[in-house]
Amino acid sequence: MSKIEEVKAKVETGKAKLVAGLVQEALDEGNQAGDILQGMIESMGVVGDKFSTGELFVPEMLMAAKAMSKGVEVLKPLLTGEATSSLGTCVIGTVQGDLHDIGKNLVSMMIESVGFKMIDLGVDVSAEKFANAIRENDNVTLVACSGLLTSTMPAMKETVQQLKDSGLTGFKVIVGGAPVTQEMADEIGADGFAPDAGSAAVKAKELVSA
Amino acid sequence: MLTKRQNLMETIKGGNPDRFVNQYEFMDIILEMPIKFMTVPGSELKTDWGITFRWPEGQLGQFPVHDEEHKVLKDITEWRKYVKAPSIESSDEAWAAAVAHANSIDRNDKFVTAFVAPGIFEMTHHLMSMEDALMALYEEPEAMHELIDYLTEYELALAKVLIDRLHPDALFHHDDWGSQKSSFISPAMFEEFFLPAYKKIYAFYKANGVELIVHHSDSYAANLVPFMIEMGIDIWQGVMTTNNTPELIEKYGKQISFMGDIDSGTVDFPAWTPEIAAREVERACKNCGKLYFIPCLTQGLGFSSFPGVYDTVSEAIDKMSKDMF
Repeated sequence: MSKIEEVKAKVETGKAKLVAGLVQEALDEGNQAGDILQGMIESMGVVGDKFSTGELFVPEMLMAAKAMSKGVEVLKPLLTGEATSSLGTCVIGTVQGDLHDIGKNLVSMMIESVGFKMIDLGVDVSAEKFANAIRENDNVTLVACSGLLTSTMPAMKETVQQLKDSGLTGFKVIVGGAPVTQEMADEIGADGFAPDAGSAAVKAKELVSA
Repeated sequence: MLTKRQNLMETIKGGNPDRFVNQYEFMDIILEMPIKFMTVPGSELKTDWGITFRWPEGQLGQFPVHDEEHKVLKDITEWRKYVKAPSIESSDEAWAAAVAHANSIDRNDKFVTAFVAPGIFEMTHHLMSMEDALMALYEEPEAMHELIDYLTEYELALAKVLIDRLHPDALFHHDDWGSQKSSFISPAMFEEFFLPAYKKIYAFYKANGVELIVHHSDSYAANLVPFMIEMGIDIWQGVMTTNNTPELIEKYGKQISFMGDIDSGTVDFPAWTPEIAAREVERACKNCGKLYFIPCLTQGLGFSSFPGVYDTVSEAIDKMSKDMF
């Protein structure tokens, strides 16, 4: 097994304490930082897929994300700023009136793992706050809106519509959360929908690469 | 006509109920206990464990606060330093209202029901945040086992006082074990960390006169049902449609009953209508049938977030009883 394959396996199984050392060993063997990063991104894709199919649960996903972040810490001095956030910046938040953050945090970790710089606005985020974050941050390519409550779906609709009508450009909007469906996402004018954290990362990448 | 209690027993024992058990009607839940666990909209509460909950205006419930200032358990390896179980109030005066309530209930008609919330799993993440608690199961399993044992000892001490004061016929115990689509942790991890705790707790209640264990988890948890049976749960309240309730009834009905299948999120929202409520009640009753099933909103107490919804659902269940019995 090559050193990069070892790194990938440890990220996938969430061995946070081992990944930093293995990443350093992979570098010492002459592997390129970008290749090691790509390997870890692929591992997180596997983790996301397994979460989507119910093979893995939240703790496994959290541990994998932590393992990857330990590896990225080693690589960061060797990577240009663009390399770790090659897909641009993603502004994420739970929509106004909703305080649930666990699902949003998982989605944030997974989207970060595929190559976005994350700006996490937290919970109970107004449409205006989302818009301000797009203005204040460079290269925002994606806005992710989360909502768990049926009662806050109107706020999600309003957020998407205000962002679309704001005159701001260069970004796509992805929505998700337990009551959200593809049908609803289409109806409120979102560019994308994902039913869980794993598929959110895949969809995020697809949206900004299109 | 059977009493509410008799009708419940016929339903969960596979006998001859004469109507659907209508939501929470069989339980008279004693909420007047001297334990702080819930605040009100627009305010903040610090529990006796030191956990801060906020319930902002306009929200449907309270949330634990986990910024650095408010997080109780900052390092799982030092949990003994941070986590101190509160003393359990046991004076006559403190329990007077709860005892009076229990004494006023006709036990032939309803179960005098003790209420415990939050449970062991929720306590772990209320103390330190969901992310910390779930990662600690992997990173510091010994410390987590110790913490869970400590929380279990507290629950057993509380159980002793509750039983002594109220002589409850039933226990309604909250602990959410999943999201709407999956359990938070794998069945294997649940079996290792939480099954032993609940086996002790529920066995203690059963050994001390509690006839019925009703556990609330308004989530997906179909993959945990075998453990629910093993720990002694009689009724899982909060079963959401995502669990495929009819399939669970067919597979496990003789060992555990299911209360819910009317998702609160679908029925209980600002633009609710009686038609939506009736549609969901009819679907639930027809799909799930008369035995081992109690049609109920998935919410964890006998009320709704929006006025009128709970009573409308109850009326629709009565109508289904007339149609189907």
